[in-house]
Amino acid sequence: MLEFIYTSATEKENSSQDHVSSGPLLSLFSQVVLKIIKHYQEEGQGTEVVQGVLLGLVVDDRLEITNCFPFPQHTEDDADFDEVQYQMEMMRSLRHVNIDHLHVGWYQSTYYGSFVSRALLDSQFSYQHAIEESVVLIYDPIKTAQGSLSLKAYRLTPKLMEICKEKDFTPEGLKKANIGFEHMFEEVPIVIKNSHLISVLMWELEDKSTVADKHELLNLSSSNHLEKSLQLLMDRVDDMCQDIVKYNTYSRNLSKQQQQKHQYLQRRQQENAQRQSRGEPPLPEEDISKMNKPPQPPPRMDTLLIAGQINNYCQNVKEFTSQTLGKLFMAEALQGHN
Amino acid sequence: MSRFFATGSDSESEESSSADELTPKAPGTTFKQSLLLSDDEEDTKRIVRSAKDKRFEELTNLIKTIRNAMKIRDMAKCLEEFEQLCRAFLKSKNIVDKEGVPSFYIRLLADLEDYLNQLWDDKEGKKKMNKNNAKALSTLRQKIRKYNRDYEAEIATYKEDESSSSDDDDDDEDWGSDTVDSGREIKNKLVLLQSTLPTHPLSVLRTQETEKSTDKKSGKKKKLKKKERLEEEAEEEGGEEVEGGWEKVKGGVPLVKEKPKMFAKGTEINTAVVVKKLNEILQARGKKGTDRAAQIELFHALAAIAAENNLGQGILVKIKFNIIASLYDYNPNLAAFMKPDMWKKCLECIDELLDILFENNNIFIGENIAEDSENLGVSEQPFRVRGCILTLVERMDEEFTKIMQNTDPHSQEYVDNLKDEGHVCGIIDRLLTYLENKGSTEEICRIYLRRIMHTYYKFDYKAHRRSLGLQGESKSEQDQEESEGEDSAVIMDRLCKFIYAKDRTDRIRTCAILCHIYHHALHSRWYQARDLMLMSHLQDNIQHADPPVQILYNRTMVQLGICAFRQGMIKDAHNALLDIQSSGRAKELLGQGLLMRNMQERNAEQEKIEKRRQVPFHMHINLELLECVYLVSAMLLEIPYMAAHEFDARRRMISKQFHHQLRVGERQPLLGPPESMREHVVAASKAMKMGDWRTCHSFIINDKMNSKVWDLFPETQRVPEMLVRKIQEESLRTYLFTYSSVYDSISMETLSEMFELEMPTVHSIISKMIINEELMASLDQPTQTVVMHRTEPTSLQNMALQLAEKLGGLVENNERVFDLKQGVYGGYFNRGEFRQHTSLQNIYQKGSYQQKQTGYQRGGYRNPNQGNY
Repeated sequence: MLEFIYTSATEKENSSQDHVSSGPLLSLFSQVVLKIIKHYQEEGQGTEVVQGVLLGLVVDDRLEITNCFPFPQHTEDDADFDEVQYQMEMMRSLRHVNIDHLHVGWYQSTYYGSFVSRALLDSQFSYQHAIEESVVLIYDPIKTAQGSLSLKAYRLTPKLMEICKEKDFTPEGLKKANIGFEHMFEEVPIVIKNSHLISVLMWELEDKSTVADKHELLNLSSSNHLEKSLQLLMDRVDDMCQDIVKYNTYSRNLSKQQQQKHQYLQRRQQENAQRQSRGEPPLPEEDISKMNKPPQPPPRMDTLLIAGQINNYCQNVKEFTSQTLGKLFMAEALQGHN
Repeated sequence: MSRFFATGSDSESEESSSADELTPKAPGTTFKQSLLLSDDEEDTKRIVRSAKDKRFEELTNLIKTIRNAMKIRDMAKCLEEFEQLCRAFLKSKNIVDKEGVPSFYIRLLADLEDYLNQLWDDKEGKKKMNKNNAKALSTLRQKIRKYNRDYEAEIATYKEDESSSSDDDDDDEDWGSDTVDSGREIKNKLVLLQSTLPTHPLSVLRTQETEKSTDKKSGKKKKLKKKERLEEEAEEEGGEEVEGGWEKVKGGVPLVKEKPKMFAKGTEINTAVVVKKLNEILQARGKKGTDRAAQIELFHALAAIAAENNLGQGILVKIKFNIIASLYDYNPNLAAFMKPDMWKKCLECIDELLDILFENNNIFIGENIAEDSENLGVSEQPFRVRGCILTLVERMDEEFTKIMQNTDPHSQEYVDNLKDEGHVCGIIDRLLTYLENKGSTEEICRIYLRRIMHTYYKFDYKAHRRSLGLQGESKSEQDQEESEGEDSAVIMDRLCKFIYAKDRTDRIRTCAILCHIYHHALHSRWYQARDLMLMSHLQDNIQHADPPVQILYNRTMVQLGICAFRQGMIKDAHNALLDIQSSGRAKELLGQGLLMRNMQERNAEQEKIEKRRQVPFHMHINLELLECVYLVSAMLLEIPYMAAHEFDARRRMISKQFHHQLRVGERQPLLGPPESMREHVVAASKAMKMGDWRTCHSFIINDKMNSKVWDLFPETQRVPEMLVRKIQEESLRTYLFTYSSVYDSISMETLSEMFELEMPTVHSIISKMIINEELMASLDQPTQTVVMHRTEPTSLQNMALQLAEKLGGLVENNERVFDLKQGVYGGYFNRGEFRQHTSLQNIYQKGSYQQKQTGYQRGGYRNPNQGNY
């Protein structure tokens, strides 16, 4: 276990090193990673999601996450449980033992990468609204179980923040903001940091521990994971379809109404012209807008989110298949060699 | 009768014209009387009543309430009623003008005033009164004082009168109404007498009348007293006169009194007398105050008299008809059913009637024989009696159904009632033989249908046993068998075919066909039943039939389905039962009970109608059996189908209900051993999904299920055998569908062992699957193995296909949104570039995708019509 974390952590560190220059940096203490994994293993199963609070502080231009604690699991009996109260308590207690107690974000586990949802958007918005630098850490336990730690940090883009602030999710609003699913979340590169003492311990342990005989990384079975992903993908596509149909009917209604309005206006104009020729005062034209209310436009935010989710799934599948392909070629080569 | 009244009316008109004194009393009524008397005495009565008595009755009723209120010193009520009375009195003004102020009215006014004055003087009592009452008292007093001023004279005379005849009884209001009533009676009597008695009594009457009218003219003082006395006299006299009149006209035109006494002593009883009497009783029929039980008694008595006097069978038949009819009439409510004793009586009566009819060949009965042309008396000629025995028997049958509907089916009473079924059948049979000789084809059809209705739902055990080649165990049973005659199948065949050929009303034929099919199906003659059903084309137009026929149709379909199931035609069984079962209202559709759920939807009236449609319990089709048959056949069809099309996105459900049951089973948090029939089927389905036929079998056929379902079939042994076989076959198919992907090849021998099927059967099943392209495999003859080909897509591939399909839909939808936008703006382009469209279309049809992406052009193409506006 230790070794696995160590390797993946280092790997992560190496891989994300390239991005360091490109944006605000996020450094994660390894104990946070361990705590999150532990939290999931203890409480999360299957599609169930675990969540928790990230603690840390901003140093220069980078955010250091030094600790975290989980949200307690909800049960039906303690409906009156006060979460905020619990968090404050927890942070106070941590402060007493001299641990960073600044709230800098939250984390959440995910099931096959399905995390782009309205709930996430809303809570991340409120976090980012209150604490500007907050991030959300998404931990994918399934991918992790397959051999590579999957931990990603996201923030809402300033554009999306604007939209959320205005609560304008109409098609027009989104169009004006010119936002697509690609520009909703920005990923923040992560650097996992160990204290020197831990690094030393790792080196020491690496020598001592036997080589793990099970390498999840090399597992060749693929269909299960792909099937699950496809299933989820299909569900989202269905949702998307529904949304589009909704939008379609809306725009059809709108255009129909516009036509009616247009006709009415023309008629009114004609009438007015006649009246003018007869010397009567023209009829007012204001009542038209009152007469036919435009249909309620469907909110487009969900569609956007679904698109983002679909994109996410596709990325996942793509990544997974490329890895699997590589593994298969490797296995073939090995077989040929034997 | 008419002859009699012809003379009567003559004398009456003569009388009314001659006796001018009568006219001032009630000119309108008398006039009408004289007009109408010629056709019926009844009418006269009604006319009189509507004119005067109605008003007076209203008044007397009000007076009665006022007097009651007076007794309890309820002044408020008194006032209220008094106001009403005044109004009512005003309404009857014109009658009062004619008749004079009725005495009872004056009496009330006088009494009321006295009473009020008395109360007014009683200071103590007034104080005790509550406020409301006291107020009412003062108002009432004021009012009555004012009101009475108009009638001072009358009141004065009344008071005088009262003081002079203090011996008069106190029961004033009764007395008042009595006067009216007796007055009416008397008048009728008078009229009657006037019309019947030619000369001598008339003079007496006339003198009476004149006396009365002179009385009235001279003053109304003594009128009341006198009138009463007179009336008494008149009654006595009239009675005497009537008696005398009878003696006089003895042998001539007879007359019967209204009293429920049969005949006066010494009256010679002949047919005409009895008929008259009969008519008289009949006239009371359907009237409000008529005691129906007494009426029946009267009829019986009359029948006894007729029999005693040997008036011949004709009259007896006539009376019997009426007895039965009045028995049916006994219950005024259509929903109520006959009481057992009534029912017994009814059966006996019909039996007797039939006896008479059989014994006497010279009685003609029919609905179309007019009352006038009836011949009841003259025995030399054939009797002709109006009436329809068939209708009576049909009504009896309906009553029987009603009785059965209204009896608790789980009581001993029901069994007892059911014993009468034999009797009913016997009567129908007898009538059938009677009508075969005498009735018209139409009638024969109707009685045949009755017979069919009593036969079709009964399983003919004797025929069944005979067909199995078993003889009756004992001698006596054999005898019984012989005496039983033909099989019900033969009877059904004969009767139904007659109806098919002769019937002209569609309904009887439809019913007959349905019953015939039902009967066939009940006796497992599947092909005949099916052919008949298909030939009749009933499926197409049954929805136009009335509800009872539809219920019969549903019953037949269900029976057909069950029959198909017994024969092992699972698919047919499923199809036949699908309609009934999928609605979830089988109970209602079969007329075997009302569903609670739509209690709100229907009102009490509808509910009554629906209740009347219910099929009696002994004809019910077991609903659990029905559902079980349906579910098992659905299982046998659905499970292999599900296994074959596991990944098919467009898979449709064969049976929604079955899926529902499966889902219910899945939702169970804790899965215990199956209890109910449904749970058994669900458990069996699960086993079958795995290809485990043994478990499946044990779930479908075990003691519990046997007692619940399978033992209900007449051929107890055959059905489970067939079922085992089916389960084995379908399990084999399911197994192959489900697990073919894990096999490279599989030996047929193994399969045959696994499913305990013979090699040829296995071979044929697999071959069929291969031919139908359900199983991608080939048979290897020498090694007797099935070699799988693996051309089926894996689940992942299937999913990918599904996804592709969905994405196609998504793109389509998306384009539609796009088109709409194009449509709005695209109008500009369409005009100029309309020519391009043809070429564009060609390109598009070739599938050139690049062209497609140039948005507005495609928009133009997509909506070529938009170019027009």
